[in-house]
Amino acid sequence: MNKDYLQIEVEKNYPGFQLVAEFTVSEGEFFSLVGPSGCGKTTLLRLISGLEQPDRGRIILDGWDVTAVSPADRKIGLVFQDYALFPHLTVAGNIEYGLKVRRLPVEQRRARVEELLALFEIEGLKNRNIQELSGGERQRVALARALAPQPCLLLMDEPFAALDYGIRRRLRRELRELQERLGFTTIFVTHQQEEALSLSARLAVMKNGRIMQIGTAAEVYCNPVHSFVAEFLGDANLIPCEVQSTDAGITITFDEATVFTMPGSKQKPGSYLLMIRPEDVMITDHTPLFTGELVTLEYLGHGYYLEVKTTNGLLLKMVTGKEEQELVKGRWLPLTFRSGAPKLIPIKAQVST
Amino acid sequence: MKRFSSLARKKERGEKRGGRSVLYYVLLCLFYLPVLSVLSRAFLGRNAWTALLGLLSSEQTLKVLTFTTKQALLSALFSLLLALPGAYFFGRYDFPGKRLLRSMMIIPFMLPGILVVLGMVVFYGRNGFFNQLLAYLFPGRTVTFTELYGFKGIVLAHVFYNFSFCLRMLGERWERLNPRLEEASLMLGASKFETWFRIILPLLLPTVGYLFTLVFLYSFLGFTVVLVLGGYLYQTFEVLIYIEYNHKLNFDRASMLAGLQLLFLAGVLAVQNWTGRNARRYSGELSYLPPLSLKRHRCRALFFLVYLVATLLFFVLPLLLVSIRSFQQRGQAAGAWTLENYRLLFREEFRFAVGQRLVSVVVTSFLLAVVVALITVLLADLVAKQRRRYRWDRSDLWLQLPTGVSFLTFAFGLINLTGRALPTWVLLIWAQVFLAFPLVYSILRTARRELGEELLEAAQLLGATGRELFWTAEFPLLKRALGSALAYGAALSLGDLSAVLVLGQGKLVTLSVAVYRLIGHYHFPLATALGTVFILLSLILFSLVDAGKLEDHV
Repeated sequence: MNKDYLQIEVEKNYPGFQLVAEFTVSEGEFFSLVGPSGCGKTTLLRLISGLEQPDRGRIILDGWDVTAVSPADRKIGLVFQDYALFPHLTVAGNIEYGLKVRRLPVEQRRARVEELLALFEIEGLKNRNIQELSGGERQRVALARALAPQPCLLLMDEPFAALDYGIRRRLRRELRELQERLGFTTIFVTHQQEEALSLSARLAVMKNGRIMQIGTAAEVYCNPVHSFVAEFLGDANLIPCEVQSTDAGITITFDEATVFTMPGSKQKPGSYLLMIRPEDVMITDHTPLFTGELVTLEYLGHGYYLEVKTTNGLLLKMVTGKEEQELVKGRWLPLTFRSGAPKLIPIKAQVST
Repeated sequence: MKRFSSLARKKERGEKRGGRSVLYYVLLCLFYLPVLSVLSRAFLGRNAWTALLGLLSSEQTLKVLTFTTKQALLSALFSLLLALPGAYFFGRYDFPGKRLLRSMMIIPFMLPGILVVLGMVVFYGRNGFFNQLLAYLFPGRTVTFTELYGFKGIVLAHVFYNFSFCLRMLGERWERLNPRLEEASLMLGASKFETWFRIILPLLLPTVGYLFTLVFLYSFLGFTVVLVLGGYLYQTFEVLIYIEYNHKLNFDRASMLAGLQLLFLAGVLAVQNWTGRNARRYSGELSYLPPLSLKRHRCRALFFLVYLVATLLFFVLPLLLVSIRSFQQRGQAAGAWTLENYRLLFREEFRFAVGQRLVSVVVTSFLLAVVVALITVLLADLVAKQRRRYRWDRSDLWLQLPTGVSFLTFAFGLINLTGRALPTWVLLIWAQVFLAFPLVYSILRTARRELGEELLEAAQLLGATGRELFWTAEFPLLKRALGSALAYGAALSLGDLSAVLVLGQGKLVTLSVAVYRLIGHYHFPLATALGTVFILLSLILFSLVDAGKLEDHV
């Protein structure tokens, strides 16, 4: 498997906005670009597709420099957010389009269309007009159309954004299975962290035209290098702290009274943000790290969401399971962190961006 | 609670009636009885069919049919060909002044036909600006444009009339073509040319077809332009009907011609209805358009600039020239300005050429326009109000149809029906209300539909009733639409020439008739002065119009 199947190193300037990106995608990988709207993820996708030209840099696909190649010749498939299905063609006509303009013989075209209709289980829609399709059906047709010419790379721009939650989850799973089965290299753009985490092998978190972090879903979720990444991918407590290193590991001081040691860790001394996910804050029977008053209590169905105001003035967010029965507002709770869960993010890194 | 139930009851009653009312049928009668009377005279009279066969096989009919169709086809073709490049830029780019330009594009629509003719004569006439320009550009050689009074001139004037509206409609349609479609096609491996051919063109084609039939229809029914520029050689059906009726007093022949024309147009209308439905089918949402910049798209932007300047000159110059000429006098140096022409408007010369004094012409026109606009808006609003809850179905089509019925036929039918038992001014108002109704109704119907039942229901639930409801909720919400409707109604009344000529019998003189007579007398200094006043009046009306909205009404 080619590790450097797609190599990207580009720069694009707009008035008041600059996009700089550098990363590689390996062959057969499912790679996501995730970030809030306006972060440049769609622009990056359009640069890869060739619909926009970078001001500097190059894009290499399977050893072939495609930077100056027209979008029509790049052999890249693109699924648009609104699908952009041709309204004057039927479902079959849409799927066939890419084969027709590439001058494939009729028999091959027909066979390929049938194949894709079967793959996406939409044989019944073959001769339907686009206007008659539901959102989910359109999504399948768009994907089938993009895959029909067997592209080297499939780009998807928020393809599930227009769908209801239930159908989105189903299609997401189907897409993942299909991608694993057929092994097409995919770059998937989304602003939904849940989608990115559940779908992708690796993902890049973007902000203001920069890639903040690239890694596997677990890596970026558990080990964010930046407070933005931590907060974007889910709820997070970010607590300013001082770190000192000792022979045994490090000690973390929140204020004079609260000290927390992480044996075996290594970290340069200095100011940090301690990142802890709400699900990693626990009510404890042993020596608590913090004690605080329960100020917010929300029932979530599968558990509770809590906000606790600690004695040293912090507001800690946490979630608990159903087992915690006696939660009442105003109760004092002894709290600690799940071992190994807290991560340190250097404060200096915040200043640079 | 009481109020809730009374609302519910009202709704039920409305639905039982199916949305139709006495008013609807009265209007249908007022609109279609005159038309039916023409048809019955043409097809049901004694020996009607033999006469009809004779007429059909006559050389003159064939000639008129050939000319009318040919000029209408060419007018539609050139209007669309000229509009296509502009529509591309309006549909695919954003640029400063776009909104203003777009709203200006309905001006020709509100401009009286006779003013267009006057502009054409001043600009393209033998001693017009265009020929002076040619003489200046090619000194010593005799390069002149002498065919204004003829086939080319007629097509030119019709293109002038229809082009900007084609540009606007097609541009608006193009804007609603999702740009992603083009990109999707490119990504699937199609070249730019193939994308254009396989995606854009097929999606634009229904609109192109719709506009083609529309311009064809307008040009086919062309009267004013052909009456002045066509002379004896070139006549449309409308002009021929007018001549048969007015000059030769041959009523039977006129009604037969009108009947034939109606039959022919019924076919065109069917095509138009079909293309109109198709055109609406693929309409998508508006999407972001990139700004057209001289830096990034140099060639394209330059081309568009040249195109824009050329078309603006084509449109604005003739009218501008009418105003400029009105301040000049023949024999004087080009730089000298004078108000002499305006002074002449109040003298005997004017009365001699026009038949009436200026004051009476202006008062007649003004009163007629105001009365017609008010009546039309009132009737249209009543129908629209009753119908706002229902999808517009076939019964609405009948109220819209007058667009396709020749106006002259209608005026002629009125005389045929009433036999001049009614005073002229009643007939004239009747006819002009009929002319203005489809457009005015369409504006108000759309406005009421957009207004939504909920807003009024909310106002009612908050306690507004009767007059209060109207003044506090309905009127403020409908103000712009009502302004537009009144302005269009008045503009159509001011611009009408054929009904006034047929029904007025020379005694009723409006501004349009006055300008027509002045042109007929080759009295251009006076014509330009009166024309300028007329242009100003039209511009005032235009300023009342909500120019952002057109697409739904035509």
